Amino acid sequence: MQVSIKWLKDYIDFTETPEKLADKLTMAGIPVENVIRADAGWEKVVTGRLDKVEPHPDSDHLMVCEVAVGQEKPLTIVTGAPNVKEGQIVPVALVGANLPCGKKIAKGKLRGVASMGMLCSADELKLDLEGLPEEQQTGIYILPEDTPVGVPAKDVMGRDDVVLEFELTANRGDCFSVFGIVREIAVLTGNTPKWPEIAAKEEGDTPAADMVKIGIEAPELCARFSSRVLTDVKIGPSPDWMRQRLEGAGIRAINNVVDVTNFVMLELGQPMHAYDYDEVKGHALTARQAVAGENLHTLDDSSRLAEGGELVIADAEKPAGLAGIMGGLETEITDKTTTVVLEAASFAGPSIRRTARACGLHSEASGRFERGVDITGTVRALDRAAQLLSEMGACRVAPGVVDVYPNPVKPGRVFFTAEEINQRLGTDIPAGRMVEILESLGFAVGHGPEGLYEVTAPSWRNDISCWEDLSEEIARIHGFDNIPSTTPAGNVMMARQSDRQDFIDRARHILCGLGLYEEVSFSFTHPAMFDSLNIPEDSPLRQAIPIMNPLTEEYPLVRTTLLSSIFENTMRNFSRKNDDVRLFEIAPVFLPKSLPLTEQPDEVLKLAGLMTGRRAPVGWGQDNGPIDFFDAKGVVEELLAALRITRYTVEPGKHFAMHPGKTAAFKKGQDTIALVGEVHPAVAAAFGVKKKMYIFDMDIATLKRYAANKASYQALPRYPGVDRDLAILVAAETPAGDVERVIRKNAGPYFKDVTLFDVYTGAPVAEGKKSLAFALQFQSNDKTLTDEEVDASFRKIVESVAEAFDAELRA
Amino acid sequence: MEEKIARLKKQAEEVIRQKVGNLSDLNEIRVRYLGKKGEITTLLHSLGEIAKEERPRVGQIVNDARRQLEDLISEKTAELKEKELKAKLAKEHIDVTLSGRHAWRGHPHPLTITLDRIKTIFMDMGFSVEEGPEIERDYFNFEALNLPKDHPARDMQDSFYITDEILMRTQTSPVQARTMQAHEPNSPIRMIAPGRVYRRDDYDATHSPMFTQVEGLVIDKGIRFSDLKGTLELFLQKIFHAGIGVRFRPSFFPFTEPSAEVDISCVMCHGKGCRVCKGTGWLEILGAGMVHPHVLEMSGYDPKQVSGFAFGLGVERIAMLSYGIDDLRLFYDNDLRFLRQF
Repeated sequence: MQVSIKWLKDYIDFTETPEKLADKLTMAGIPVENVIRADAGWEKVVTGRLDKVEPHPDSDHLMVCEVAVGQEKPLTIVTGAPNVKEGQIVPVALVGANLPCGKKIAKGKLRGVASMGMLCSADELKLDLEGLPEEQQTGIYILPEDTPVGVPAKDVMGRDDVVLEFELTANRGDCFSVFGIVREIAVLTGNTPKWPEIAAKEEGDTPAADMVKIGIEAPELCARFSSRVLTDVKIGPSPDWMRQRLEGAGIRAINNVVDVTNFVMLELGQPMHAYDYDEVKGHALTARQAVAGENLHTLDDSSRLAEGGELVIADAEKPAGLAGIMGGLETEITDKTTTVVLEAASFAGPSIRRTARACGLHSEASGRFERGVDITGTVRALDRAAQLLSEMGACRVAPGVVDVYPNPVKPGRVFFTAEEINQRLGTDIPAGRMVEILESLGFAVGHGPEGLYEVTAPSWRNDISCWEDLSEEIARIHGFDNIPSTTPAGNVMMARQSDRQDFIDRARHILCGLGLYEEVSFSFTHPAMFDSLNIPEDSPLRQAIPIMNPLTEEYPLVRTTLLSSIFENTMRNFSRKNDDVRLFEIAPVFLPKSLPLTEQPDEVLKLAGLMTGRRAPVGWGQDNGPIDFFDAKGVVEELLAALRITRYTVEPGKHFAMHPGKTAAFKKGQDTIALVGEVHPAVAAAFGVKKKMYIFDMDIATLKRYAANKASYQALPRYPGVDRDLAILVAAETPAGDVERVIRKNAGPYFKDVTLFDVYTGAPVAEGKKSLAFALQFQSNDKTLTDEEVDASFRKIVESVAEAFDAELRA
Repeated sequence: MEEKIARLKKQAEEVIRQKVGNLSDLNEIRVRYLGKKGEITTLLHSLGEIAKEERPRVGQIVNDARRQLEDLISEKTAELKEKELKAKLAKEHIDVTLSGRHAWRGHPHPLTITLDRIKTIFMDMGFSVEEGPEIERDYFNFEALNLPKDHPARDMQDSFYITDEILMRTQTSPVQARTMQAHEPNSPIRMIAPGRVYRRDDYDATHSPMFTQVEGLVIDKGIRFSDLKGTLELFLQKIFHAGIGVRFRPSFFPFTEPSAEVDISCVMCHGKGCRVCKGTGWLEILGAGMVHPHVLEMSGYDPKQVSGFAFGLGVERIAMLSYGIDDLRLFYDNDLRFLRQF
């Protein structure tokens, strides 16, 4: 909501600058978002009279004007506007002006004639073009003939005002009006408001009640419907002062009747609507719920079919408007209107909000009803509107108000003690001061039972229902700054986070230590991703949860795999020439139990990553060759080791996005704890990537299940170990891991460790064979081993691999 | 005999002092005089040739000469060794300006770093870390927080709905209600709930459809608004710097009463007014308030027995202000040139 300082000053005196006032209001919970100076860019714009207008000697479309601007000599200004005539008074931008449109005015020469400024168009001054005569929409803006010459244009064009833009909270519907803001200013400054006297002068013999029938069929949605009838209406423009007030509030002037309803809404906070009486069928208006399929033809000339249940104001035949949101087209005020029915009603906020959202129509009126409007104010609003219009000479006011208000609202009462409020706030405010604050805000405070204060909220405050609400009123006027700062007393509490969170933190730090970067990405995805990632048609990962109202078509689903995000981020990095990508993410994926969703889905924490590019950062003496499968596998192995996951097996694995021949599955029994592999060529192709990428995919809960929480200490050996190398020839396709497993199994009591340190194919190794070289370590905790003991173990190993793999010992 | 000794000694000393330039020459000298067949050694062996009564005296003289020469040689050896080492070192050097060898140095995401800092501060103050689902029931996300359907305050948080009753949580506040309901009624709580939240906001420099929030909740007997002020001031001084300006403004949230917006003095201009703080000198940093009695009641707590405060803060906002990042989208672009900076 916007309100101009001038309008506020109509009703209350204050000496604060607009900025200072904005600050006071903000600190009292009435937030001012912006202080808008309407005259920004209007310095050096003055009114000027065109004393002489002659064609330019060297141009067939330029005019040379002599312009009186109150200086000693008139200025010569060249213009290209076709609508200038001698005697007109126009806004003139002097040299040095910096206009609202961004133009800077300097001395200039146009085809040999010096020009000392510029005649301004409405567009250059950023004025509202609507309602201007056509020639003024493109040409120069023309001021009234009686405008003084040589004065700042902002003064005569209503630009000398400052506008406060409020960002009001949803609970303070009462502040959506000039009166509401004035009430707050009165409390903050201690000054007394000068409320206007509101009284309508009624004329004529036929009472309004004989002219129009008002009814409420849905009292739970419309608690009150008040109406007045205006006769002998003369439609025309509103006076300038009113147009300026509306403009300052960001509302376009239309005609006197509509402007007055808007003015009263802004002034008092009561939305109003005006109907053309002659177009209201049966001269009857009823608040009722729409029947499904009914046509709703609104002012914006769009037609909607009612879903049923929306609150409408209907005449004898059909809906004449969406109550509290937008009027109907047929009963709109036009130039031909002579009799008007004014509506001031109270509609239920939730219903208005539902309908406004469903129709996508949000108006000044609907916003106010959603937050709540003072139900006692309908008749006053009608009186105010009738008074303003009759004072303008635009109508006669038919006697009486038709007011349907079946169940008058009784003000609620709240009880409080000063102690409980001070206890809640941590303050020591005297009871007398609390009462004073509440009374200044319009609350009635009396004495209730048992030493309690009994408080009745003013009719405009619909947000007060418990004493805690009063504590806020007292706190905000007392000043949050004046409340001390303390720390909570009470029990000492043991701070902790879940084991799972500790585990995630560990995994993250390990991966960072291994040279990977953590990414954070949106939980959304697109169905095309499933194809790109090669996810099988029948995979549950394709059962992603659709969002009812996605933000963009790009992200209609909630992701079921982190890989979609990891590939997106990788591609973004490639496009920015970051070739060495090493990303990982730890985040949940969302797996529905069934679709459409009937209960919350499983949120499964995953860990996934992608590596590609150089083995080490570019540099002299660095290994800048591309990473391969074993670099990625090494990262996974280091991660598992650092997480203290041991004694797993590794075997060829399967993953939709990984190369079928280059995927390793890390297993603990039947459980897969990690999958790592080269990106499937089809997936790489789908992303248009030619180079090799490697990915890993893990499940946090599974990892955690097999991770030892803490290290367990093994005594350091006291006796020296013995090293032996074993080189064997096996068939080329024999998995090294299998050989290692057989070695471990048959290595005897003194076996300590085995490391594969060389794999070799090619001459002199025979075709179809490969050489594997293992470093074996033997050690005893009880004694120094003898050669005989080690030889025996070694022989046993050689025999067992010879038997299992048909391996020969290399010389 | 004595003369011979003196001559030999003098001769040897002269050579060692003046002629010998390296260790092998020195060794030659040593062998020549002191070796098994060296001249002085030989003299010692020929002691038998002189008178018996003279032997001890002459022997003493020979031995003295021998010892003095040995000392001189070891002195000279040390001198020569040092000289040689110097000469060797003078020839050995590498280009130390060449870069060292590097492995990839990974980094956590700046949001994680910021969140870790936030968590540490609150855990130091005795707050536990709680979690809740990201796809949440409307009941926990809104209704249990005193936000019934069609409440206008729901507009503040435009939501991604999955069904009419299930949505992407718009705030971490539902963890409040979940935590209270998991506790014995009226038992004290001191918790934070960090996590990702979702709002249907256009993606631009200051808005994102997903962001990270930390919810905080303290419930106990006698918790006051002043405790909220003190706790948040401590937090803000820790996460930014001691002496940062903090102000509390009245505001509105359906789940707290009184409610406050909390501002800090602008970290860019230190309160003078700049583009970042729109000239006000203040930056909005979090929302907070005393837990609304309805919220306590709905989760089984008795507002007559206990009271509490709650707050919610945006991790992105704090990260942006502490690192001077001016575009929220950088966090989700995951450009490695960005990630590497933290």
